[in-house]
Amino acid sequence: MTLTHRQPLGLDDVVVVDCDVHVDDPPQALAPYVDMPWRRSLELLGRAPQRYLDIPGYAPTLNIDPPVPDRSVSTRSVHTARQMREELDELSVDLGVLFPDNLLRIAVFPQADYAAALGRAYNAWLADVWVQRERGLYGAVLAVPQDPRDAAAQIRRYGADDGFVGVYLPVAGLRPLWGERCYDPIFEAAEEMGLPVMLHSVGLIHPNFPFNLDHMTSRLVRHPIQHEFALMANLFTMIGSGVPVRYPDLDIVFTEGGVSWVPFVMWRLDKEFAENPTGAPLLERPPSSYVKQMYFCTQPVEEPERPRDLAAMIDLFDGRAQVLFASDWPHHDFDHPRKVLHMPFDADLKRKIMGENALRLLKLPAPVPV
Amino acid sequence: MPRIRVGTEDSIQPGAPALVRHGGVEVGVFQVDGEFRAYLNRCPHQQGPVCTGPTTGTLAAARATGWKLAWVLDGRVLLCPWHTMEFDLLTGQRIRGRGERLRAYPVEVSGGEVFVTIGRPQVEPSQGRQCVG
Repeated sequence: MTLTHRQPLGLDDVVVVDCDVHVDDPPQALAPYVDMPWRRSLELLGRAPQRYLDIPGYAPTLNIDPPVPDRSVSTRSVHTARQMREELDELSVDLGVLFPDNLLRIAVFPQADYAAALGRAYNAWLADVWVQRERGLYGAVLAVPQDPRDAAAQIRRYGADDGFVGVYLPVAGLRPLWGERCYDPIFEAAEEMGLPVMLHSVGLIHPNFPFNLDHMTSRLVRHPIQHEFALMANLFTMIGSGVPVRYPDLDIVFTEGGVSWVPFVMWRLDKEFAENPTGAPLLERPPSSYVKQMYFCTQPVEEPERPRDLAAMIDLFDGRAQVLFASDWPHHDFDHPRKVLHMPFDADLKRKIMGENALRLLKLPAPVPV
Repeated sequence: MPRIRVGTEDSIQPGAPALVRHGGVEVGVFQVDGEFRAYLNRCPHQQGPVCTGPTTGTLAAARATGWKLAWVLDGRVLLCPWHTMEFDLLTGQRIRGRGERLRAYPVEVSGGEVFVTIGRPQVEPSQGRQCVG
């Protein structure tokens, strides 16, 4: 089909790569993949009453909000690869990168052995049950921050599988943040395997960063801090310790924070660097030049009153090749691909954001039209 | 324009809208405080199936009450099941929005039967000041 400039691009006209979709990962599903004693732990958790993304000992958080009538409608889950494929078809998504549901909170566990066992089980289960290239379902290796050496081994093991296209770095409740040198084995393995690291946060109230959220009165004010502030803090620490300098071939992706904070981060860091370059002695150039090489997923896509402001925002960080579509399906704040496609971007930028940038980054072939 | 019989008045209860389809257009018919309204089953935000969401109320506060939180508009607020955007079922307007509103169709009651005319909308849809799909 030949498109003229008057015909707006439709979802059928572009490749849609969704860099963030979520699989339901209940403890009982992972139990067969984990060693004792944790297998018994997950079996026990599997028999206990479970609430949506709120399982003590598995997906812990402090739920402090009273329920508001009828506002608990968005608790969708995807339970099978087949269901995921069908729902991504409904959304016109060609390829999806899989992230967990409950294990978004894995960084909070103080027991490194348990966290590492969960990570290994999740990766094995994902490879076994979910990663299906023929269905366009690709995995991100879960890198458990509590045991970086074990995480590095997981990256090397699953990174050799063409079905895994990235490394998932948990962000919520993380301590220390991802810039710390203790995580170097993870970055080294990811760079070696040619896999981007993908930072992904989640709503969480916990004494680790981002903390002090317990006195905030609603999700409305808490949610942006849990996501965008957490991503920013991790980016700052990664710049500070020179991750992009020490691992120049490592691609870094920020998921579920939108894009509008990126210019602030660049300009603020450049300002600080001008005054205090010894604070980041490894940097060879101003921080913004490294930030411009990072990748940023659209969801939750900004909805400014003047939509063209979003296009201008992307230009501010030279983001035409760095912005990736993500839906966050099936979570409450998912974005339909239509929403992003219909933003007032030029056709070339739409194609890049919806899929071409991700195909290049994730080294994936374009799907063959059926 | 096609005039579609939806059902008897009694068959459309508050909080239990009827969904009717004509020529690929799906419309939800609601009863609110004894009045009937019909809206296109497509949310102006991201085109979710808005008419399949719950009918409820919302939280608000006013200076006159010292900003005390109050549950208001009970039975009059339609929540989109996708992103819980709120619409006033009597007016079709998004509550505290940017001017977004649901596409409305004429409804009439005749001889105890409810009819909706699905064709040219009674009220043109508005996406407010957003550019959405």
